[in-house]
Order: sequence, then structure tokens, then C-alpha cells
Amino acid sequence: MKKIRIFLLSGFVFFGFAAIGWADEPITNWLTSPEGPLARAVRSNFYFSMAAFLPFLILSEVLLVYAIFRFKAKPGGQAATFHENLRLEVLWTVIPALTLAVTAIPTFKTMRAMEVPPKSDLVVAVIGHQFFWEYRYPKYGVQFAEEAMVVPAGKVVTLNLSSVDVVHSWWVPAFGVKQDANPGRITHAWFQADNPGRYKGQCAELCGKLHAKMYIDVNVVTPEEFEQWLMKKKGAAPPAQAAGSQ
Amino acid sequence: MSDRPKGLVRWLTTTDHKDIGILYLVTALFMAVFGGAFAGLLRAQLSAADLKVLNPDLYNQFLSMHGTVMIFFVIIPALAGFGNYFVPLLIGARDMAFPKLNALSYWLVIPAAFLMFGSFFVQGGAAQAGWTGYVPLASRQFSGTAGVDMWILGLHLVGLSSILGAINFLVTIINMRAPGMAYFKMPLFVWTWFVNATLILFATPVLAGALTMALTDRAFGTGFFRPSEGGDPLLWQHLFWFYSHPAVYIMVLPGMGIVSHVLPAFSSKKIFGYKGIVYATAAIGVIGFMVWAHHMFTSGIDPRLRAFFAFMTMVIAVPTGVKIFSWLATIWGGQIRFTTAMKFALGFIALFVMGGISGLTLAVVPFDVQVHDSYYVVAHLHYVLFGGSVMALLAGVFFWFPKMSGRILDEKLGNVIFWLIFLGMNITFLPMHWLGIVGMARRIYTYRPEFEFWNQVASFGYILLFAGGMLLLYNMFKTLRKGERAADDPWGAYPLQRTLDWSVSSPPPVENFAKIPEIA
Repeated sequence: MKKIRIFLLSGFVFFGFAAIGWADEPITNWLTSPEGPLARAVRSNFYFSMAAFLPFLILSEVLLVYAIFRFKAKPGGQAATFHENLRLEVLWTVIPALTLAVTAIPTFKTMRAMEVPPKSDLVVAVIGHQFFWEYRYPKYGVQFAEEAMVVPAGKVVTLNLSSVDVVHSWWVPAFGVKQDANPGRITHAWFQADNPGRYKGQCAELCGKLHAKMYIDVNVVTPEEFEQWLMKKKGAAPPAQAAGSQ
Repeated sequence: MSDRPKGLVRWLTTTDHKDIGILYLVTALFMAVFGGAFAGLLRAQLSAADLKVLNPDLYNQFLSMHGTVMIFFVIIPALAGFGNYFVPLLIGARDMAFPKLNALSYWLVIPAAFLMFGSFFVQGGAAQAGWTGYVPLASRQFSGTAGVDMWILGLHLVGLSSILGAINFLVTIINMRAPGMAYFKMPLFVWTWFVNATLILFATPVLAGALTMALTDRAFGTGFFRPSEGGDPLLWQHLFWFYSHPAVYIMVLPGMGIVSHVLPAFSSKKIFGYKGIVYATAAIGVIGFMVWAHHMFTSGIDPRLRAFFAFMTMVIAVPTGVKIFSWLATIWGGQIRFTTAMKFALGFIALFVMGGISGLTLAVVPFDVQVHDSYYVVAHLHYVLFGGSVMALLAGVFFWFPKMSGRILDEKLGNVIFWLIFLGMNITFLPMHWLGIVGMARRIYTYRPEFEFWNQVASFGYILLFAGGMLLLYNMFKTLRKGERAADDPWGAYPLQRTLDWSVSSPPPVENFAKIPEIA
């Protein structure tokens, strides 16, 4: 009976993690296929810290379960009488502290990577509205709302985020990017998607009635396609040679 | 005692700390029924994609009130209930330092609850800006109805109740300990309340200030949080979390105190590392004030702040770890009796460790940014607050019910209740980790179809939780009517622990002690 219980529980845990692998929609893939250098850095930082923290989780749970089975009261049994041990107490203060110090190093490194983007190839202003996103490409004089953001693959895209009403949060899991868009101030984020495709996300900060439906779509296209898209957005016909190369 | 009024008059006029403790606990239980029902509605709506059980407006209202009610009207009052009942008893005092103030603290909760629940019936409904009430969403411009005003005033009242209670606890613990009870002889539950009351005293006034600012912004058009008036929405987040992060410890520390009584009692051992636990408790209290901005890693705060708060968040894991290991060492080599109280205390350790480790992963800023405001955070906070606070509270219920009522809760039913709640809790909240990692945002009334399976599992888990909760209520009613009578020390805890709660009759007499005990 107990074995069945443990078996069921471990199966539950195993399939949960497997499910992350099964899912193949872009919104769900930052662990299986993170898109771009930033998302990869976030993932390796996650794996590194998991490797540091999980042993403590496993150790505590294993000791707990072991103690539950091992020290069950028996008739005539005598409980031990120890109730302190300075060496042990110093040990379980110092070892976790050192582990955390070690984990902090790659964490701070990755944070720096998030905060300091490489040289920007494209600047996009992202403006949150109840309940849609507006995008402006200041260099090209292009602006639009309620449709997918379009960016070229392999380029560094920097975002300047703000909001005209309440706090929103721009989140595309595959890129490893989430950044609040606040009224009254501008916040920054960046990403670089390596592969063309359509990437999904959604607003992550409760912003009112239709918060759940405030989706984000990003179309990552080849640089050539991006040029064409820009032309079309600007209302100009695409240059003859670009059209001819298709 | 014969001069004490009977029936309803007794409960309406009492200043006895034990009666007030029971009032708090019964109120919390009553509120838990509502808070739990709100959660049931949310889980029903989320049991499949694109359901129409609740419309988006109502969903946000139930969502906000579920959080608010569970935190401010269930967990905090329930812990205050145990605190009121047992702190004076455990330090050998006859009552709290200010019995009438104590009664006032309790009676402030009632109008607060009327404001909260009443807000469902005003035009526009209850507050819908989340339990965090972020501005501008909670401002007059975007939430113009009375619901948010009632939410603010309700929180003001419970906050006031907390502050008055904290003063009372501090004065009681500092001045009214029995002769011979040095600080380092105080039982751990008293220690946790000592630190807890200090936390409340420093943190809750900040919430009161923030709420007042929000109220004047709404009512008089001031601009504390409005950029157009020179204010800043981030100011609300800083002030709110300056209270609400310590509030997490306010909700967990006394639970840790309860567990520190239950584990040794049923292991037939003394608590391991008493002083270490006291220092760890104090350390958590101090560091707890230096981590609030870890709720704001995606808000655009200064990167140097992110680094500092990430670091402090990791640091606070160390004293927490010390406690976990001390509890494990407490049961190590013991003779463990698996009473329901003990099961809940052991369940507390198992689940709190989970919540602690997932909390650590959230200190890793790049990962936090990825899962912030996703279901991963929902999972983490429920492991801490349900797995931590509620499991500890339930351990306390089964442990101290005989002392408070003179009757022992049915242990056979208790076993079923434990397993329903333990399994239900894991089935509900474990999958939420995965939902968050694969990209499901929190506080949404519907989701993309790829998230459906684990949401169904979570909703199924709620059914088990619901059954466990109902069975607990049944157990209480049944036991109060015709339960087995309890001895003064039904668990045999006194010979080894010598805590004063087990030295008096069950229930204890008015004024607790015929003669104030001397502590050796």
C-alpha cells in the first residue's frame, strides 16, 4: 500500500516534467528550445541554480521520509536524548550559505547580460493599452497596434516600454523576456531571436477585465522579409530588386 | 467561575484571552469557508479552457477576494487566535496585558469583514485589482466603483486590529512572564509571536500609510501614485511589499512556533537546537525587511537594487534552512507517534521545504523574470502559505483542540482529513509549477488550450481539498457534541517539555493559574 503510494507520487512528478518536453507550441518552449542568446543564458542560469538547490530539497525530503519510517514508536522503545550539537549547527548554516554564494555569481553575470544589451540593431517602443499592445519603430516612422510585432531574425532588438493606462507586462517566454510597462516611466528590455517563426506571449500583470486575452504575437522574419514588411507598412511599394529576388 | 455571564452575552462581552482566542479561531474558520468557496469558483472556471462559469469581471473579483480573505481574514486571525489563547498560558500569565484592548482588536475584524464581503453587493461589485491592489488599476480612474474603497477601509481596520494586537503581545511577553521565565526559557511559540509582533509593529503602519494615500488619491484627487501629478505607481508597489513581504513571515513564523511544539511532543524528545531556532527566528524577522523588492524584479527598478534584493533573498534562506534541519534533528532518534497533529506537522516540513526551495529559485533574478506573475509563483506561494501556514495551523488545531474544548478530535477521521488535504494540496498546486514554466500567466480567467490538462488535474485536487475541509468541520461539530473527554495532558507532552499549557485543566480555568507558577 505504501509502495503504491510512493510509486504514484513519483510517477506524477515524472510526467509533470515530461509534459514540459511534450508541449510544442512556441509559447511553451523556453526550456526545450530557448530562442536567442538571452533565453539560453536564462536557461543555463536556471539549470545551474537548480543543480545547486535540488540536492537540499532532496536531502531534506529523504531524511524526513527516512525518519518517519525508521523512528516509528515501538512498545518499550527509548527516544534518544540529544538536543544540541554545535558542530552540526554550524555546518548546516555554513554549507547552505556557501552554496548560495556560489549560485549568486552566475546569477549576477546573467543579470548583467539582461541589463546591458549588445549593440542594438532595432529599437521598438512598446506601449501597453487596456487591452492591446502598440508598437512604434521610431527610426522608420512606422507605428501600429493590435497586430503582431515584426522583427528580423538574428538582430538585437531593444525595447522601450511604457503604458498609457495601467501597469502591463510584456512577456514572450521563448525569448526569456518579461518587462513591466508602467505609466509615467520607460523601462527597457532586449532580445535576439535566431530563427524565423511566430512566437506567442501574453500580458503578465493583472491589468483589468480582459487581462487574460491580452496576447502578444511576435513574427520573426528574415532580414529581407523585414525590409519588405517595412516598405509595405510605410505605404511604399517594395523596391524592384527586392521583389525580383523573391 | 460563577460570576462569568453565560451564552451569547459571554462571547459578546468577554475580555478573557482564551475566549478571544476562540473567537478569532471560529471567525477564521468561518471566513475560510468563504475563501475556500471563492477558490472553488476560480478552479471551476479554470477546469477547462474558455469556460463561462464566471465572467471576466466576476472572476477578477473572486480572485482578489480569495487572496485578501485568505491572508487577512483566515491565516493572520487564526494565528492571532492561537497566539491569544496560548501566549499568556505558556508564559504563566493570567491574561494579556490589556484585556479590553485585546477585545477591541478582535471586534475590529468584524466590521472589516462586513466591508469586504459587503462589497460584492454594491454597484460594480468587489475590488478586482488583485489582493495586491496595484495602482493605477485600483485607482478611481480604472476602478471607479465603491468596491475598492470598501477593500481599502476593510484592510485599514484589520491593519489597525493587527497593530493593537501586536502592542498587546509585546507588552504581555516583555512584562508578564512568570517569575523565573528568562527570555531563553520561553517556549518557541512565544518566541515566534514575540518576533511576529515586532514585525507587525514595524510593517503594518506602512500598509496603513499606503492605503491612506490610495484613499486620498481616490477620494480627493491627490496624486501620490499618478505620474501626471508627479506621483509614481511604483511607490505603491514599494510600500505595499514593504508590508506584504514581512507579512509572509507574519503568516509563517507562528506556524513554525506551533510545529516546534508538536514535533517534540510526539517524538518524545526535546526540540533540537532551541537557541539556534530562536536566533534563526530573529534573523528571519530582521532580514524579512530587506527583501521586499524581490516582488518587483520585472518592474524596472534600478539593476543595483535587483542585485541587492536577490542577494538578501538568498541570505534569508539560511536561517530558514537552520530551522528545517533542527526539526529533522528533533524527530531523529525519537519515538514518533503518528497522531493527526504530528502528521500535519510532518506534512508542514515536507511542503514548506518545497516552498522554500522554489522561493530560492525566484531569488535567481533571470529565472524570476521568466516566471514572475506566472503560475509558478502561484504554486510557490501556495506551498508556502497553504503548505506552511495552513498545515501548521491544522497541526495546532488537532494538538490544542483538547486543551481548548476539553475533548479530543476524532483521530480516525483526522487521518482521512490529513490525507485528503495533503494529497489534495499537492495535486492542486504541484502542477502549477509546470504551468508557470511553460508560460501560463497568473490571474487570467481563461487560457490557451495547451494548458488544459494540468489545469484539470489542479481542479480535481481542489475536490479533495474541499472534501478534507468539510470533513474537518464535521469532525469539530461531532467532537464538540459527544467527543472523547480530554485529560489535562492528553498527549503526555508535559513530563519532557514542561510547557505550562499542559499543566492546567482542559479547558483551563478563568485566569489560568490559581497561583502563578515559578519557573525553575
